[in-house]
Amino acid sequence: MSRTLNVIRLQLINKQTFIWVPLIVLAGATLLSVLIYAMIPGGEPKYGGGGQAPLWVFFAVGMTAMTLTFPFSQAMSITRREFFVGTLITAVLGSAFMGVLFLIGGAIELLTDGYGVNGYVFHLPWLWEAGPLGAFIVYFTLALFFFVVGFTGATIYKSWGAVVITVVGVAVGLSLIGIIYLITRLELWEQVWIGILDFGALGLALWGLVAVAVLAGISFLAFRRAKP
Amino acid sequence: MIEEGKALFLQIAEQIEDSILDGSLEEESKAPSTNELAAFYRINPATAAKGVAMLTDKGVLYKRRGIGMFVQSGARELLLGERRSAFADRYIDPLLAEARTLGLGADDLAALLRERAAVAASASTTEGNPA
Amino acid sequence: MTAVIEVNNLSKHYKDKRALDNVSLSLEGDAIYGLLGRNGAGKTTLMSILTAQNFATSGDVKVFGEHPYENARVLSRICFVRESQKYPDDATPRHAFKAASLFFTNWDQELAEQLIKEFQLPMKQTIKKLSRGQLSAVGVIIGLASRADITFFDEPYLGLDAVARQIFYDRLLEDYSEHPRTIILSSHLIDEVANLIERVIVIDDGKILLNEETDAVRDRAVTVVGDSAEVDAWVASREVLHRDQLGRVASVTVLGALSSEERAQVTASGLDLAPVSLQQLIVRLTQKASAESGAENQEVR
Repeated sequence: MSRTLNVIRLQLINKQTFIWVPLIVLAGATLLSVLIYAMIPGGEPKYGGGGQAPLWVFFAVGMTAMTLTFPFSQAMSITRREFFVGTLITAVLGSAFMGVLFLIGGAIELLTDGYGVNGYVFHLPWLWEAGPLGAFIVYFTLALFFFVVGFTGATIYKSWGAVVITVVGVAVGLSLIGIIYLITRLELWEQVWIGILDFGALGLALWGLVAVAVLAGISFLAFRRAKP
Repeated sequence: MIEEGKALFLQIAEQIEDSILDGSLEEESKAPSTNELAAFYRINPATAAKGVAMLTDKGVLYKRRGIGMFVQSGARELLLGERRSAFADRYIDPLLAEARTLGLGADDLAALLRERAAVAASASTTEGNPA
Repeated sequence: MTAVIEVNNLSKHYKDKRALDNVSLSLEGDAIYGLLGRNGAGKTTLMSILTAQNFATSGDVKVFGEHPYENARVLSRICFVRESQKYPDDATPRHAFKAASLFFTNWDQELAEQLIKEFQLPMKQTIKKLSRGQLSAVGVIIGLASRADITFFDEPYLGLDAVARQIFYDRLLEDYSEHPRTIILSSHLIDEVANLIERVIVIDDGKILLNEETDAVRDRAVTVVGDSAEVDAWVASREVLHRDQLGRVASVTVLGALSSEERAQVTASGLDLAPVSLQQLIVRLTQKASAESGAENQEVR
């Protein structure tokens, strides 16, 4: 147990990875968004996707957790299970940190009426429908999802090789395109939108957590035979 | 110092024997420890230990409980005797072989030996006398 | 005394290559072992399987009497820093050593600090940007300061200049004297490590060629030099490892230690005897083995 906890400490030795870089990227993206909002005329509230910037950081961190930190953990004589569990817990903590930042950002935006320019990066109404707790879960799930996708992709690559991961990637891409094609062809977009709105951001986030669990399961299976 | 083609622990033992013979390591004085030997010759301590063990078996060194390895009294005599019998094998035979290659017979060798011995003797006496 | 490492009929196949071919050995522990062989002979594969970083195709492996896979009890007593070890993104040596201190229960920070100074390792620079020698120094420091019960050094000196290598050998011996443990050192610089290792294990082409005490191997061969006719007559009854000729002078390396009578005989016939270093012996044995297996393959065809 303590060795697993030490894996968390291991991941956090370099504070940049899970804390500073996502934070700086988020701050930078927010700043950029606000500057852009300030330049847009009109009093309508402006919403932007700047908040997704740190998610890509988590994707990259998920990948390097597997490609670099895992081989190092082997040199530290850590078992694969200890590494997997410890790393996942660290990702959860990091995602929670992101969630909290999101809430703080949202609160700031509410208090300042969108930084005085009616521009919003965090407090996007649809995400906050279920209240602050809902918003937290949404952002938490997004961050964790991006991490796990990166981690699982890298695990598949390391365990089963470049061919398999390419096939998987192409298959996923094709499936998505296929689904979009079907929806368009059968003119189901309205139903899809209504369905999404009914679900709400929170509902989708909960499904997202299911996806995270599935991906984590896949990567654990692949991981058991991974070579550093 | 360390030769190829010869067991390392034997070489270590020989080095210790050499220092006993030339007087730099006196009887009843403390012999270097295994770790000291290992560090000095840059060898594995187990190898040094083997050399020391061999000398102990031979009766050259003995162990004083809690203190370390010491040179046995009479070790010098023991080693002198041993080296003298091996002297012919180690030095005379190669000497003869080389002499044969150069076409020097036993009489030539004897004359050379006496000549060089005289030179060596006078050199050490002049060294001994203050100028 | 039970062996700390037991390998039985271990094989590792890849699609087109047999990295390890029916390897068996048993290591008692508390000694410095040399795992010697050419590049690609199977040294790293063997060490990886022993530390559960790679998996056997067949055969079994026991460390401290147990299977190492996912076995924290066993793994926490082992340290294996490989030759091209990866470190976390943007990690500095400081980060790496902090991590090591978390997982190696015998970690000695003082020893690490001393080594950092001796190797002149820059602590704040990211490992990505270190030179090859400095990268090796990080691995060497982790290996030494871990004081793990079994420590593997996989060609640890790559990139280290002669001075740094000597520092490594000296500190290794010093620390080993004070804290005896099992150390397995893989190297192809045989003569440099010959005096450090108690046992020589030679791997070639996935097979074990030799597994003996170093001193027993040291006088295993001799080179006879002189008139080629005389030399050939003399070596006729012995196993020849290697032959060189320059004009009428032949230099033949043969297996087998010579008794003092035999030595006298040889010198009496006007021939010279030259010692064979451990490196030369192993090189010749290896060349002989690959020549023989090459010939076998020819026959099979």
